[in-house]
Amino acid sequence: MTIGPAFPDLVPTTRSMSPGDFASKIFRSQSGVEARVQYGNMAFNKTLDLEYSNINETDAAAIFDHYQNCKGTLYTFDLPPNPRKGNPAFDSALGGAGSTTNRFGAGAFGLRYRYAEPPQFASIKEGRMSVTIKLIGVIDS
Amino acid sequence: MSYYSGKDGYLKYNGVTVAKVSNWSVSSTVETLDVTNLSSSDRAFVPGLRSSTGSATIFYYDEAAVPLLGRIIKTAAVGEPDILAIRLGWGTSKFIEGNCIITSGELNCAAGEIMQATIQFQFTGAPTSVSL
Repeated sequence: MTIGPAFPDLVPTTRSMSPGDFASKIFRSQSGVEARVQYGNMAFNKTLDLEYSNINETDAAAIFDHYQNCKGTLYTFDLPPNPRKGNPAFDSALGGAGSTTNRFGAGAFGLRYRYAEPPQFASIKEGRMSVTIKLIGVIDS
Repeated sequence: MSYYSGKDGYLKYNGVTVAKVSNWSVSSTVETLDVTNLSSSDRAFVPGLRSSTGSATIFYYDEAAVPLLGRIIKTAAVGEPDILAIRLGWGTSKFIEGNCIITSGELNCAAGEIMQATIQFQFTGAPTSVSL
Protein backbone atom coordinates (compact mmCIF):
# COMPACT_ATOMS: atom_id res chain seq x y z
CA MET A 1 0.00 0.00 0.00
CA THR A 2 1.21 3.48 -0.78
CA ILE A 3 1.84 5.51 2.32
CA GLY A 4 0.59 9.07 2.30
CA PRO A 5 1.56 12.01 4.51
CA ALA A 6 0.88 11.85 8.27
CA PHE A 7 -2.53 12.95 9.44
CA PRO A 8 -2.74 16.56 10.79
CA ASP A 9 -1.75 16.59 14.47
CA LEU A 10 -5.04 17.98 15.82
CA VAL A 11 -6.89 17.01 19.01
CA PRO A 12 -10.45 16.01 18.11
CA THR A 13 -13.61 17.09 19.87
CA THR A 14 -15.01 13.57 19.95
CA ARG A 15 -13.58 10.24 18.96
CA SER A 16 -15.04 6.76 18.74
CA MET A 17 -13.28 3.54 17.88
CA SER A 18 -14.21 -0.02 17.08
CA PRO A 19 -11.30 -2.49 17.11
CA GLY A 20 -12.53 -4.59 14.20
CA ASP A 21 -12.58 -8.38 14.22
CA PHE A 22 -10.53 -11.39 13.22
CA ALA A 23 -11.32 -13.31 10.08
CA SER A 24 -13.18 -16.45 11.02
CA LYS A 25 -15.78 -18.83 9.77
CA ILE A 26 -18.61 -20.34 11.77
CA PHE A 27 -19.67 -23.94 11.35
CA ARG A 28 -22.94 -24.85 12.99
CA SER A 29 -24.16 -28.43 13.22
CA GLN A 30 -27.76 -29.50 12.97
CA SER A 31 -27.84 -29.81 16.75
CA GLY A 32 -26.84 -26.19 17.07
CA VAL A 33 -23.29 -26.79 18.21
CA GLU A 34 -21.11 -24.00 16.92
CA ALA A 35 -17.47 -24.25 15.88
CA ARG A 36 -15.41 -21.26 14.81
CA VAL A 37 -12.27 -21.41 12.73
CA GLN A 38 -9.92 -18.51 12.81
CA TYR A 39 -8.47 -17.61 9.42
CA GLY A 40 -6.16 -14.78 10.35
CA ASN A 41 -3.99 -13.57 13.23
CA MET A 42 -4.95 -9.89 12.99
CA ALA A 43 -8.19 -8.07 13.55
CA PHE A 44 -9.01 -5.78 10.67
CA ASN A 45 -11.53 -3.13 9.69
CA LYS A 46 -10.77 -1.19 12.83
CA THR A 47 -12.73 2.04 12.62
CA LEU A 48 -11.84 5.41 14.11
CA ASP A 49 -14.31 8.26 13.82
CA LEU A 50 -13.01 11.73 14.59
CA GLU A 51 -15.08 14.85 14.92
CA TYR A 52 -13.56 18.31 14.96
CA SER A 53 -16.14 20.89 16.02
CA ASN A 54 -15.76 24.61 15.45
CA ILE A 55 -12.10 24.42 14.47
CA ASN A 56 -10.48 27.28 12.60
CA GLU A 57 -10.40 27.26 8.83
CA THR A 58 -6.64 26.66 8.69
CA ASP A 59 -6.99 23.37 10.53
CA ALA A 60 -9.97 22.37 8.40
CA ALA A 61 -7.93 23.17 5.31
CA ALA A 62 -5.10 20.97 6.60
CA ILE A 63 -7.51 18.04 6.83
CA PHE A 64 -8.86 18.76 3.36
CA ASP A 65 -5.33 18.96 1.94
CA HIS A 66 -4.36 15.74 3.69
CA TYR A 67 -7.32 13.94 2.15
CA GLN A 68 -6.28 15.25 -1.27
CA ASN A 69 -2.65 14.29 -0.74
CA CYS A 70 -3.72 10.79 0.25
CA LYS A 71 -5.59 10.54 -3.04
CA GLY A 72 -8.83 10.29 -1.13
CA THR A 73 -9.42 6.84 0.28
CA LEU A 74 -6.47 5.34 -1.61
CA TYR A 75 -3.32 5.89 0.50
CA THR A 76 -2.78 4.82 4.07
CA PHE A 77 -1.14 7.05 6.67
CA ASP A 78 0.13 7.26 10.24
CA LEU A 79 -1.81 8.84 13.06
CA PRO A 80 0.28 11.34 15.10
CA PRO A 81 -0.19 11.75 18.90
CA ASN A 82 -2.85 14.47 19.09
CA PRO A 83 -5.71 12.63 17.34
CA ARG A 84 -5.17 9.88 19.96
CA LYS A 85 -4.94 12.28 22.92
CA GLY A 86 -7.30 12.39 25.89
CA ASN A 87 -7.37 8.84 27.30
CA PRO A 88 -3.74 8.32 28.40
CA ALA A 89 -4.30 5.02 30.23
CA PHE A 90 -5.93 3.59 27.13
CA ASP A 91 -3.62 5.21 24.62
CA SER A 92 -0.51 6.98 25.83
CA ALA A 93 -0.42 9.02 22.63
CA LEU A 94 3.36 8.61 22.93
CA GLY A 95 5.84 6.47 21.10
CA GLY A 96 5.74 5.42 17.52
CA ALA A 97 2.76 4.37 15.52
CA GLY A 98 3.57 0.75 16.35
CA SER A 99 3.59 1.16 20.14
CA THR A 100 1.38 -1.40 21.85
CA THR A 101 0.12 1.30 24.23
CA ASN A 102 -1.46 3.11 21.32
CA ARG A 103 -4.83 1.39 21.27
CA PHE A 104 -6.33 4.12 19.10
CA GLY A 105 -3.51 3.58 16.64
CA ALA A 106 -3.19 1.03 13.90
CA GLY A 107 0.48 0.13 13.53
CA ALA A 108 0.72 -2.03 16.66
CA PHE A 109 -2.04 -4.23 15.28
CA GLY A 110 -0.55 -4.68 11.86
CA LEU A 111 -2.94 -2.18 10.35
CA ARG A 112 -2.72 1.13 8.62
CA TYR A 113 -5.39 3.77 8.56
CA ARG A 114 -6.94 5.16 5.43
CA TYR A 115 -10.05 7.26 4.91
CA ALA A 116 -13.14 5.07 4.94
CA GLU A 117 -15.06 7.77 3.11
CA PRO A 118 -14.57 11.42 2.17
CA PRO A 119 -14.56 13.72 5.22
CA GLN A 120 -17.51 16.03 5.75
CA PHE A 121 -16.91 19.76 6.11
CA ALA A 122 -19.55 22.01 7.63
CA SER A 123 -19.27 25.79 7.71
CA ILE A 124 -20.29 27.20 11.09
CA LYS A 125 -19.47 30.88 10.71
CA GLU A 126 -16.73 32.95 9.18
CA GLY A 127 -13.46 31.46 10.38
CA ARG A 128 -14.99 28.35 11.96
CA MET A 129 -15.79 24.94 10.49
CA SER A 130 -16.61 21.46 11.73
CA VAL A 131 -15.18 18.33 10.17
CA THR A 132 -16.27 14.70 10.51
CA ILE A 133 -13.79 12.00 9.56
CA LYS A 134 -14.16 8.25 9.31
CA LEU A 135 -10.98 6.18 9.19
CA ILE A 136 -10.64 2.45 8.71
CA GLY A 137 -7.68 0.29 9.69
CA VAL A 138 -6.73 -2.17 6.97
CA ILE A 139 -4.10 -4.88 7.10
CA ASP A 140 -0.78 -3.52 5.94
CA SER A 141 0.37 -5.56 2.97
CA MET B 1 -20.97 62.39 34.91
CA SER B 2 -24.67 62.21 35.38
CA TYR B 3 -27.54 59.84 35.84
CA TYR B 4 -29.97 59.25 33.06
CA SER B 5 -33.65 58.62 33.43
CA GLY B 6 -36.64 58.03 31.24
CA LYS B 7 -37.01 61.70 30.41
CA ASP B 8 -33.63 61.54 28.65
CA GLY B 9 -34.69 58.73 26.34
CA TYR B 10 -35.97 58.90 22.81
CA LEU B 11 -36.64 56.64 19.86
CA LYS B 12 -36.11 57.62 16.24
CA TYR B 13 -36.87 55.79 13.03
CA ASN B 14 -35.24 56.87 9.79
CA GLY B 15 -34.23 60.06 11.58
CA VAL B 16 -37.73 60.95 12.76
CA THR B 17 -38.36 61.13 16.49
CA VAL B 18 -41.32 59.09 17.71
CA ALA B 19 -43.48 61.04 20.14
CA LYS B 20 -44.86 59.70 23.40
CA VAL B 21 -42.57 56.74 23.87
CA SER B 22 -43.29 55.19 27.23
CA ASN B 23 -40.28 52.91 27.35
CA TRP B 24 -37.79 51.12 25.18
CA SER B 25 -35.27 48.39 25.75
CA VAL B 26 -32.53 46.75 23.75
CA SER B 27 -30.73 43.46 24.22
CA SER B 28 -27.70 41.95 22.50
CA THR B 29 -26.63 38.35 22.80
CA VAL B 30 -23.77 36.44 21.26
CA GLU B 31 -23.82 32.70 20.69
CA THR B 32 -20.89 30.68 21.88
CA LEU B 33 -19.17 27.99 19.85
CA ASP B 34 -17.81 25.09 21.86
CA VAL B 35 -14.15 24.43 20.98
CA THR B 36 -13.50 21.99 23.81
CA ASN B 37 -11.41 19.05 22.67
CA LEU B 38 -10.33 15.75 24.17
CA SER B 39 -7.27 17.26 25.85
CA SER B 40 -9.30 19.94 27.66
CA SER B 41 -10.25 19.86 31.33
CA ASP B 42 -12.58 22.84 31.06
CA ARG B 43 -15.00 23.81 28.37
CA ALA B 44 -13.67 26.43 25.99
CA PHE B 45 -15.65 28.70 23.71
CA VAL B 46 -15.19 31.24 20.98
CA PRO B 47 -17.74 33.92 20.07
CA GLY B 48 -20.32 32.92 17.52
CA LEU B 49 -23.04 35.00 15.95
CA ARG B 50 -24.46 38.07 17.65
CA SER B 51 -28.05 39.15 17.55
CA SER B 52 -29.76 42.20 18.96
CA THR B 53 -33.40 42.79 19.66
CA GLY B 54 -35.38 45.59 21.13
CA SER B 55 -38.84 46.64 22.15
CA ALA B 56 -40.72 49.84 22.77
CA THR B 57 -44.05 50.91 24.15
CA ILE B 58 -45.59 53.97 22.57
CA PHE B 59 -48.74 55.79 23.63
CA TYR B 60 -51.22 56.00 20.79
CA TYR B 61 -51.19 59.79 20.94
CA ASP B 62 -51.79 61.66 17.73
CA GLU B 63 -50.99 58.46 15.87
CA ALA B 64 -47.39 58.57 17.09
CA ALA B 65 -47.07 54.80 16.86
CA VAL B 66 -48.53 54.43 13.40
CA PRO B 67 -45.31 54.70 11.35
CA LEU B 68 -43.88 51.76 13.28
CA LEU B 69 -47.03 49.70 13.59
CA GLY B 70 -47.70 50.28 9.91
CA ARG B 71 -44.57 48.31 9.05
CA ILE B 72 -46.19 45.09 10.20
CA ILE B 73 -49.91 45.69 10.63
CA LYS B 74 -50.99 46.37 7.05
CA THR B 75 -52.72 44.73 4.16
CA ALA B 76 -49.58 44.36 2.06
CA ALA B 77 -46.86 41.85 2.75
CA VAL B 78 -43.91 42.86 4.87
CA GLY B 79 -40.85 43.37 2.70
CA GLU B 80 -37.36 44.77 2.74
CA PRO B 81 -38.63 48.36 2.36
CA ASP B 82 -40.07 47.91 5.86
CA ILE B 83 -36.58 47.73 7.37
CA LEU B 84 -36.07 50.85 9.46
CA ALA B 85 -33.03 52.60 10.84
CA ILE B 86 -33.96 52.76 14.50
CA ARG B 87 -32.02 54.84 16.98
CA LEU B 88 -32.53 54.30 20.69
CA GLY B 89 -31.02 57.27 22.46
CA TRP B 90 -30.59 58.88 25.82
CA GLY B 91 -29.04 62.15 26.80
CA THR B 92 -27.48 64.37 24.20
CA SER B 93 -24.92 62.01 22.72
CA LYS B 94 -25.76 58.45 23.77
CA PHE B 95 -27.46 56.10 21.35
CA ILE B 96 -27.59 52.71 19.66
CA GLU B 97 -28.60 52.70 16.03
CA GLY B 98 -29.14 49.92 13.53
CA ASN B 99 -31.34 48.58 10.79
CA CYS B 100 -34.32 46.79 12.25
CA ILE B 101 -37.24 44.67 11.21
CA ILE B 102 -40.39 45.15 13.25
CA THR B 103 -41.11 41.59 14.33
CA SER B 104 -44.11 42.22 16.52
CA GLY B 105 -46.70 44.93 16.76
CA GLU B 106 -49.36 45.00 19.44
CA LEU B 107 -52.06 47.57 19.91
CA ASN B 108 -53.87 47.67 23.24
CA CYS B 109 -57.13 49.38 23.97
CA ALA B 110 -58.66 48.90 27.42
CA ALA B 111 -61.29 50.69 29.45
CA GLY B 112 -59.75 53.21 31.81
CA GLU B 113 -56.34 53.05 30.17
CA ILE B 114 -54.59 55.12 27.58
CA MET B 115 -54.35 53.28 24.30
CA GLN B 116 -50.81 52.18 23.56
CA ALA B 117 -48.79 50.15 21.11
CA THR B 118 -45.99 47.72 21.83
CA ILE B 119 -43.48 46.89 19.15
CA GLN B 120 -40.60 44.46 19.10
CA PHE B 121 -37.82 44.64 16.59
CA GLN B 122 -34.89 42.60 15.44
CA PHE B 123 -31.63 44.21 14.36
CA THR B 124 -30.40 42.98 11.02
CA GLY B 125 -26.63 43.07 10.78
CA ALA B 126 -24.40 44.85 13.26
CA PRO B 127 -25.48 48.14 14.85
CA THR B 128 -24.53 50.88 12.41
CA SER B 129 -23.56 53.33 15.13
CA VAL B 130 -23.10 53.08 18.89
CA SER B 131 -22.25 55.61 21.55
CA LEU B 132 -22.66 54.22 25.05
